[in-house]
Parts: sequence; structure tokens; C-alpha cells
Amino acid sequence: MASSKAYIASVGFTPIGDHWEKSLTDLAVEAARGALAPLGKKAPDQIIVGNMFSSMGAGQEHLGSLVASALGLSGTTAYKVEAACASGGSAFNVAYNLVKSGAIDSALVVGVEKMRDLEPEEVSQALAMAESAEYTQFVGATFAALNGLLARYYMEQHGVSRDELSSIPVLDHSNAVTAGHAQFRKAITPEVVSRSSMIADPLRLFDCAPVGDGAAATLIVNDGANVASKHRVEILGGKIATNEFSIYEREDMLDFKATKEAFKAAMGQAGLAPGKLSLVEVHDAFSVVGALSLEAMGFSKKGMGSKDAKAGRYSPGGELPINTFGGLKARGHPVGATGMYQIAEAYLQLTGQAGKNQVPGAKYAATQNIGGVDSTSAVHVFGGAA
Amino acid sequence: MTIQYWRQRDRYYRLVGSACSECGAEFFPPVYRCKKCGSEKITDKEMPQTGKVLTYTRLHEPLPGFEAQAPFYLAVITLDNGTRVLSQIVDSPDESVKTGARVRAIVRRARVDGESGQIVYGYKFCTV
Repeated sequence: MASSKAYIASVGFTPIGDHWEKSLTDLAVEAARGALAPLGKKAPDQIIVGNMFSSMGAGQEHLGSLVASALGLSGTTAYKVEAACASGGSAFNVAYNLVKSGAIDSALVVGVEKMRDLEPEEVSQALAMAESAEYTQFVGATFAALNGLLARYYMEQHGVSRDELSSIPVLDHSNAVTAGHAQFRKAITPEVVSRSSMIADPLRLFDCAPVGDGAAATLIVNDGANVASKHRVEILGGKIATNEFSIYEREDMLDFKATKEAFKAAMGQAGLAPGKLSLVEVHDAFSVVGALSLEAMGFSKKGMGSKDAKAGRYSPGGELPINTFGGLKARGHPVGATGMYQIAEAYLQLTGQAGKNQVPGAKYAATQNIGGVDSTSAVHVFGGAA
Repeated sequence: MTIQYWRQRDRYYRLVGSACSECGAEFFPPVYRCKKCGSEKITDKEMPQTGKVLTYTRLHEPLPGFEAQAPFYLAVITLDNGTRVLSQIVDSPDESVKTGARVRAIVRRARVDGESGQIVYGYKFCTV
């Protein structure tokens, strides 16, 4: 069990949206098949499923054995990893560490979420499970409400305007126009955001990631796996970190400590200076969360995340392109699958397969996947494409 | 969920949080281990009933069970001992709900009806 290099050998994913005709298992299998292709008929050493609320979304738990069996791979070690919206990134991190350590040589990671079978209020309840049952749900607060509280505080502390806050959703929608798997392939203006319906003042509908079904998968291998793959990307570093659980328990609500710590550790493992990154996939479940994430990773100064996006720093051709296929707002946010979509997108970019969304000469990429309001953050760094 | 409410009644009726016996730091919600000094010598302590609004929102689509109250104000309130609590703000004129507003704790029905038919009570705040 010698430590070795770990690679993404392949990826697979479904489009994100209303998959009325497909079940949770259908989606997981569709994504997994794409990722498993280089293995042929061989089984991976482990199957790890990232998912947040299949119990509510599909009345289903025990996803490890379920997915293994559906893939015709029963017998394989298989289980689910859950960390709210960071479930996908967290499942990937577990697999990465196992493969890199040499404990196993290959792992299939599948992020999957079925949300659209639920009524809107059931989705609210499911998402609220990311937050304290005893002190957040007890007062009737939804997940969007917590982000509304955060958004007002952010705007008041740093003099951020409505149009500035809209800049990341606008950027996301613009990037998604040419992204085949994105849920919303339509450009919007800041006026569309500021005129959309109020959800949790000051957050409006277009500040918030949509509800959708989807699944994304990767095959992770080391050199011991003997897998021939046309394109592979090295996983250079990865870390899951946590913050004080709820925003009201934190000394500074605007300090995304989990993201800060996870990014620093992952970049340290990669031995990479932040300036070397060609692109970053940022977890902007809400406009304000995107801004605070950019600040926590050090790309923007405090209070400048949205303003920098408005100035074009994060646009295609800008200093550091982000959310190159539309981010959470426009590509979509099937919660437990989101981290895996980010990673699949980084893989496409680094292997030159991003089509019209290609960042020219992309060499290094990072993905940041949050659970709760930065209660958990899973960051990974990729490079060395071959 | 009804048992959860019963178990937490001191927290919900009287804002009982924690105090560290070693360094004196106070916390709400209660803690198992002091987040300042790491001590496990933690005792229950009633939090101050007054504080001010750090940030607020008006929620239009609340969790199931709270529909009859919507839209309502939610706020992160900094209590007078520096701890923070997430709470609804009720019985207050709209124009009084703003960042920095002084508020005090009151006991109100938390939900119109519990899942098993019980009525659940807990803290809310109003502006003063």
C-alpha cells in the first residue's frame, strides 16, 4: 500500500433538469456507465455514492449496495457519503484518499440527487436538514432564509449594491448558454435578477440555485489499476474542512473558514500558488455564497467578490474564469451531485474537451463544494492532464 | 419531533444556553465543550432576554408548519452578553425591524400545531 498518484480516468454525467421519466437509480446508472467505460467488464475496487436526501427525494437509502447491484457489480464494496450539499465533493475526497494511499487502486464515485419528485415545500424541508433541526428549523427558517440574513449583512457591511450582488448569477447564466448539460441555457441581465420574486429579502429567485435532478460520476485510479484511459487528469490535492455549524454561531459570519482552510490545504498538497489556476468551479448556491467563497479563497479582497465579478475578473477571458459551465445558478444544483459536476467540468477543461466553454490552455483547476452555509467545504485541485 | 420540543423546553422557553466554568465564556445554542478555552466544565445559564438585530430577512416561503405565519421576519440577534440567537421577530411594526434595532425575548406559539396535535411554544423577539 504505497502512496501513489491518483487520477481521474473518466467521467460521466446526465443533463440537469426535470427528469420526470427517470428514477434516482436510472440517473445514477446513466452517469456511472460513462465513468466506468475504461474498466470494461472489470469492477472498481469501491463504489462511493455522494447524496444528500434520497430518503426524502426518492424514499430510498442504502445507495451503495443499490447502485452496485443496478450496475451488475454486486459484491463490490459500496456505501454512501453524506455532507449535505457537499456530499459529492466529500464522496470524491474519500475515494481520492483511498486510491492515493494505495489502500485501493480504483473507485467509482457517483453523485446523485432526485429533487423534482418533491413538492416545493418538501424541497425546502429537505434542504433545511443541512441546518440545525433544534435551532434553525425550529424557528421556521429555510436554507434560503439563512442566506438572506447573510446577504443583507454582507451588503450592509461592505456597501454592495443590488446590481453588484447580481453579477455572479448573470455570469453563470452567460456561461451556461453553450453548456449542453446545464439546466438553464439562457443569458440574463441584472434587471432580471432584481425584478424576480422575493424569496428571503434581499435574496430574490435569481439569487438562488434552482431545483433539479442529476447525477455525475468519475472513475479514480492509481498506477496500480492498469486502466487504459484516453484522457486522464491528476488529482493534485483535496481537503474537507468544517466551520462552526451555523452562521449565528460564528464570530464573523462573513468568514468562510471551512472554504479558507480546505482551499489552503488542497493547494498546499498540490504545491501550487493560487495564481497558477486556470479556472475555479465555485459553489454559488446563492449569489452571496459565491462572493464570500471567492473572498475566502483569497481571489477577491473582503467585500469585493461580487464587485470583482461585475468588473469582469471572473468572466471568460478574465483574470480567473469561474463556473465555466454555468455554476450552481445556471448549470444547476442537484445538491448531492453538484460537487461531482464541478469535478467533471474541471476534467473536461483540463483535457481540452470543454467545447465552446473551453478555457484556452487550461492547465490547473480547483473545485469548491460547500455543505450548509460553509459548514462543510470540500476543495480539490487538478492538473497534469495527459 | 414532539419529544425534541419537550427535551429542549428550557432552551426554548427561557433561552437557557451554556457558560464555561473555567473561562466564563457564554454560548447560545448550548455547547458540549467551551469553544473559547476547550474546557468540558460547562453549566446551563439563562441568556439575557434583550439584544439587538445584527441582520434580518423577511421570509415569504417558510418551512412546512409555519405557512400560517408567513411572511415573517427572521433575525440574527446579538444578545447583551454577546451571544447570538436566530429568531423570528413578531408583534413589531414593519418600520421598527431594522439592523441595530433593540429587541427583547417573548414566548409565543412556535408552530400553529405540532405534528401530533400538540401546540409548541418557544422564544421569539419583538422590537422595543
